[in-house]
Amino acid sequence: EGERKAEVVTSSDEEETAQEKKLRLAKEYLANLEQEEAEKREEDDIHRDIISHRLKQDLLEQSGKVQKLVADGYEQPSLDDIIVLRGHQLSVTCVVISPDKRHVFSGSKDCSIIKWDAVEGKRLHTIPGGRKGTEDTHTGHTDHVFCLAMSSDGKFLASGGKNKFVLLWNPDTCQLIHRFNGHRGAISGLAFRIGSHQLFSASHDRSIKIWNVDELAYIETLFGHSDAITGIDSLFRDRAITSGGRDASIRIWKVVEESQLVFNGDPGSIDCIAFINESNFISGTDNNSISIWSLMKKKPLVTVKNAHHGQDQNGNSSTQTNWITCVAALHNTDLVASGSRDGCIKLWKISKNYTVLQPLYSIPMVGFVNSLAFSPDGQVLVAGIGQEHKLGRWWRIKEAKNGIRIIKLKRKDV
Amino acid sequence: MDSDSPSSEHGFSLISSNAKRTRKRKVEGKDNVRKTRKKKHKTDSDEKTKKVGDDPAKLDFEEAKDTESNSEHDNEEVTDEFASIKEELSNLSFEELKKLKEKLGLKVFNQVLYGDKDRTGSEKKVFKRANKNRPMEISSKKPVQRFRKAAPVKKKVTRDPRFDDLSGDYREELFSRSYGFLDDIKHREREKVEKSVKKEKNPEKKKELQFLLNRMKQQELTDNRKEQQKRIERDWKKKEQTRVKEGKNPFYLKKAERRKLELAEKYKELQKSGKVDAYLGKKRKKTAQKEKKKLPVQVL
Repeated sequence: EGERKAEVVTSSDEEETAQEKKLRLAKEYLANLEQEEAEKREEDDIHRDIISHRLKQDLLEQSGKVQKLVADGYEQPSLDDIIVLRGHQLSVTCVVISPDKRHVFSGSKDCSIIKWDAVEGKRLHTIPGGRKGTEDTHTGHTDHVFCLAMSSDGKFLASGGKNKFVLLWNPDTCQLIHRFNGHRGAISGLAFRIGSHQLFSASHDRSIKIWNVDELAYIETLFGHSDAITGIDSLFRDRAITSGGRDASIRIWKVVEESQLVFNGDPGSIDCIAFINESNFISGTDNNSISIWSLMKKKPLVTVKNAHHGQDQNGNSSTQTNWITCVAALHNTDLVASGSRDGCIKLWKISKNYTVLQPLYSIPMVGFVNSLAFSPDGQVLVAGIGQEHKLGRWWRIKEAKNGIRIIKLKRKDV
Repeated sequence: MDSDSPSSEHGFSLISSNAKRTRKRKVEGKDNVRKTRKKKHKTDSDEKTKKVGDDPAKLDFEEAKDTESNSEHDNEEVTDEFASIKEELSNLSFEELKKLKEKLGLKVFNQVLYGDKDRTGSEKKVFKRANKNRPMEISSKKPVQRFRKAAPVKKKVTRDPRFDDLSGDYREELFSRSYGFLDDIKHREREKVEKSVKKEKNPEKKKELQFLLNRMKQQELTDNRKEQQKRIERDWKKKEQTRVKEGKNPFYLKKAERRKLELAEKYKELQKSGKVDAYLGKKRKKTAQKEKKKLPVQVL
């Protein structure tokens, strides 16, 4: 607590340094906290202990030290808990769940984005895809949609795909707000910084661009990857993490310091990445292995090889290794999920000191699990399923139904 | 308005002249890249074509930033640069300003426009990690090279065992022992060729095969003869060893002695096959011919 240094503020300066900004934000935050606590208690005098406790909690969360051990509290999801929602014509490539858990957005290879009602299980709105060649006139995508991202206050939805631009939508009305041009390759990942309107976009042109969605402006570009970026994620801090595909590297980008931390994985393509908390993250490769990493070590803490060793529909074990197509983590807990094409979504539990990754449950799911998203409270897991891999057509699982699956994660009765 | 237009034109033309300059460089293409590589060490702001996006105004801005970052320049010069840039900017229209903002990025634009206090002084950030287990930290602003190692390719090292030191020196007995199996193969092949010669109908091919067969046979014969000689040598040496054990001096096998022994062996072989008479007959004829030459020539 209170690790901010106070800088001498020159009176004539309009701009503030990073430290001044931190100081100001910290003061605002404290003021907010006081107000919240005051409202909660409805008393005049606010105990300092409560404020300090709250600060401690938040600090722990933000520094990634807290790990809520919830994984054991879940029970095996049954088939009744899975809601299948169909509406996309081609494979679903990406899903996001709104912060209030009521809506789910999905993007697909048929260039459309669909808004679903997660509570009732209905399709609310479709943003149709246009034909190739109509980029100028059509509002929406005219090529595969690869990624979606939603801001933590639910005010903005960003989508990107093969079209090389990022589209910004209003999630309530599904109206287009803005189109961000600038990338030279397909957009493979989007992430909003939690609690802000800063958008990170990762692309196949090996660069990451930062956009300010409030001002609809491009801020800067970050370089470093030597192969197309396959995934991006972001939490509270002004950082983003990306996985670099065949260059076998994961990079954490520190925006303020203009630097990157490089983590090197096993030689193989790292296809997906997700933050678990501010100092740990999980990655999946095309060698069928999942790794848990820490910010402090350049090598992974745990690696589980042959994670998805499942068999085909016909019972034949596949001759080619199953690629881990997506990973997702419930923030600040020990529960993670991974998906591949072997017919199931696997839930894993991370041990207390990140030394063991135990398989917890296996949810049967036919098809390519192209995207996974946990709801913030951990009660719902949304999966985007397709007959094909989101990036290409190496395989096609005919028995799979294109669409999204909303899986209720029930807690065990204690 | 009129008084404004020449200055605005001037401001715009400054940028556009830069544009022309850079466009020329763009056209030169490959040579351009080579030049920039050579002049890497120059801190001069001329060689900025390696930056991504050949936007003239951007180059201008980047120049300004880097001139600022060269700690040799005074603060006053920096503010002069900024002042000139601000003047140029004030002459641009709103649309152009907006385009510039979009191209450069908000961060860079704000830094140059409002001056960044963080940058004055701290240049090349040296990222040092606490211990070797921590991840590496590098700058995120440097664009990656176009040609980079995608996958490590192992260079194939070729070894010629004839000239390689690793193979050691040539030792004939070792060689013949380890590759002795080839003789059996040669024998078998010779038999095959014999059979095929009998079968062959085409006269040309038959001739060729016959030649081949002869070659093989002759090779076999020479190999056998060599082996025989070695055998003789070996036997003699063994005999001499017994003499050495007794304490006597060993004798060297002279050439004449060797020939005698060879002859003896040949005689044994001929006896086995029963061709002694034929051999002796031929030998007599040959020597007779030679003797004939020595006789005086009769001139008529």
